[in-house]
Amino acid sequence: MKLIKKWAAFLLISAVLMSIFTICVYASENEDVSSDKEASSAQVDSVSGIKTVNDLTGKRIGVQLGTTGAVYARDVENAAIQEFNKGADAVMALTQDKVDCVIIDEQTAKAFVASNKKGLAIIDDRFTDEEYAAVISKSNKELLASVNTAISELKKDGTLDQIIKSYIPEKESDRGNFHYKQVVTHGKVLRMATNAQFPPYEYYESNKIVGIDAEIGKAIADKLGMVLKIEDMEFDSIIAAVKSGKSDIGLAGFTVTEDRKKEIDFSDSYARSSQVIIVHVKSSAESAAASSSVSDSGDDEGEPTFIDRLYTNFIKDDRWRYLVSGLENTLIITVFAMLIGLVLGFILAVIRVAHDKNGSLPVMNVIAKLYVTVIRGTPVMVQLLIIYYVIFASVDINKILVAIIAFGFNSAAYVSEVVRSGIMSIDNGQFEAGKSLGLRFSTTMIHVILPQAFKNILPALGNELISLLKETSISGYIGLIDLTRGGDIIRSLTYEAFIPLIAVALIYLIIVVALSAGVSRLERRLKKNER
Amino acid sequence: MSGKSEKVELEKKEEASAKADISGKESSEKGEILIKVEDLCKSFGDNVVLDGINIEIRKGEVISVIGPSGCGKSTFIRSLNLLEEPTGGRIFFEGQDITERGTDRRLVREKIGMVFQQFNLFDNMTVKKNIMLAPVKLKLMTKEEAEEKAMELLTRVGLAEHADKYPSQLSGGQKQRVAIARSLAMNPDVMLFDEPTSALDPEMVNEVLTIMNQLAQAGMTMVVVTHEMGFARGVSSRVIFIDGGNIREDSTPEEIFTNPKNERLRDFLGKIL
Repeated sequence: MKLIKKWAAFLLISAVLMSIFTICVYASENEDVSSDKEASSAQVDSVSGIKTVNDLTGKRIGVQLGTTGAVYARDVENAAIQEFNKGADAVMALTQDKVDCVIIDEQTAKAFVASNKKGLAIIDDRFTDEEYAAVISKSNKELLASVNTAISELKKDGTLDQIIKSYIPEKESDRGNFHYKQVVTHGKVLRMATNAQFPPYEYYESNKIVGIDAEIGKAIADKLGMVLKIEDMEFDSIIAAVKSGKSDIGLAGFTVTEDRKKEIDFSDSYARSSQVIIVHVKSSAESAAASSSVSDSGDDEGEPTFIDRLYTNFIKDDRWRYLVSGLENTLIITVFAMLIGLVLGFILAVIRVAHDKNGSLPVMNVIAKLYVTVIRGTPVMVQLLIIYYVIFASVDINKILVAIIAFGFNSAAYVSEVVRSGIMSIDNGQFEAGKSLGLRFSTTMIHVILPQAFKNILPALGNELISLLKETSISGYIGLIDLTRGGDIIRSLTYEAFIPLIAVALIYLIIVVALSAGVSRLERRLKKNER
Repeated sequence: MSGKSEKVELEKKEEASAKADISGKESSEKGEILIKVEDLCKSFGDNVVLDGINIEIRKGEVISVIGPSGCGKSTFIRSLNLLEEPTGGRIFFEGQDITERGTDRRLVREKIGMVFQQFNLFDNMTVKKNIMLAPVKLKLMTKEEAEEKAMELLTRVGLAEHADKYPSQLSGGQKQRVAIARSLAMNPDVMLFDEPTSALDPEMVNEVLTIMNQLAQAGMTMVVVTHEMGFARGVSSRVIFIDGGNIREDSTPEEIFTNPKNERLRDFLGKIL
């Protein structure tokens, strides 16, 4: 009963906080809109005053990590470059005037400008044209040859054109009039790495990755007689994934550059694009956006209400599912990583204590010490990437399993130190009593020391569990859709930061509160045992 | 302090008479040698704690070990079951050199019971489980046998009704009686007591001494490091005085207390009596 009350109070408070936040944000946005209504001009009048490529000098430029936009930005004199993991994040920063402009691929820029109601525009001056091609490992010339054949066939029979025109139509009515359906459904799998936050080339729609690259991927797979399997990951991870053999082909709007050619082979190009500059427009938000892009039908309905925003973020296209399936992965990873962490952590701790108390297991002790030092001395994210891209480089392994291993092994190091301190806190007399009775060290450990130590370290273990849960939020780096990444996907679809991020934060908070409650209940129960 | 010693003094007189024939019997029988210590040395770094101790402990003997604090008497008794690793010398237990490399210390310790100053009951187990753990885990008894044995021993130390309590619910005296019962459950050949009453409130000392007295009466071989001179004088068959890491006097209680020869023993007795 008490617990229910506590929960009710907690939910109420969070609801109130959330509404206060929203009202504030909403109010400030409304002000902007009311003053933005009048002037409209074809000439882009940006906040930063950027009109041509030459104006970029000394400006703050937002780019997506690993893109050619980032390469161009580096050539600009005195520019402060901010590299974002996602194009959408760069654009978000632009709307908040945290950067002066964003350099990004043309079609993607158009999609951003079209769906963003905050007054963005693409300036007319642009960088030179570039070609998009698939990336394939240098050690897989055979695949490269057959992909090139496939691309040329697709060019010849018009499939390629149809796909691109369906996503980048000349007339709005032609949008979505063609969708490639994969014919081959059985057989060998072609693993395609992409970064599904890059419309119209690849993005999420109804929990599926769609877009030009996705459909071209299917068409190529058909030509090769293979089944396409699309794997979503960070853009800057794709080349590494293809190189290491984790993926067979990378299709993610890759521009052919000399630097990349050193690392990887490019197929023949399948599309052309150019890098353009998006700026934040001073006024006339909607009209400017409309003039430079294909406008959405709902554009002139004004600022959406909070309910509308909830609807677009969660209900529309069943977007809540990104959170639910993400949460599921987060919980699976956390639970199993915790089990590994506890078991391995206890073993490591016992090895070290056995050595400290009896001088036994000298070799194991050194290994355990080294393990703890290395794991605690390196960031968990780097460990995750190493396990995925280095240790399991050539093994086709379930990503969830990789995450469980990475987080479990990481947690074990911390758990072992917690357990060790718990064991050390037990009076030496308990060990001696066990010894004097002729008990084995292990028997004393399991039946006498660990039960007492466990009770003492329960709060610290709870703490470790909470950290572990939150640490899993970096699972997205190996392309796993966890809770955080689920929210990111929604963010990249709705171009809104506030609601998805707050929702994700709230879910973590609720889990953590529940976990803490569980741990303190266990604590109380164990205490009762003593009295 | 004075109240306590008076009480013990009184009890001592009663026990002394009862004890007289037992010890007399034993010394005349001269039981077999249970423990033989040869030139036992122990040092912690540069600090020499035991400096070549030699002693033979016979079956049925009750030996009180007395001496000023820091004299090495605790280290001596803890060396007997190798809780302290000797740095020199040899210890034979039932004819076997237990200091030899390759000896299974665990098996030796099964036969040597030990009672600690701080009781060292397993805090996470009930009284009964404390007693049952070792016999069951070492497969000496089945669970049922161990439980029966535990209850029998608890009855013997007068704590049967506390069998299902946790150590934290017991008084110091009760804890020490449980600790004795726990040791006895292993059917040891010898019992070592390391200042068993030093951590107790004065009014609880006697309940523990009474149990120890009963044990002695029953013929248990005991080595007791103690500050209870009443016990040393009244219950033990032999008293050894350790000072400066060695045995300075080894004799009957009567000799030690009425006719101390060693200068330091006289000094020591003068201080505490």
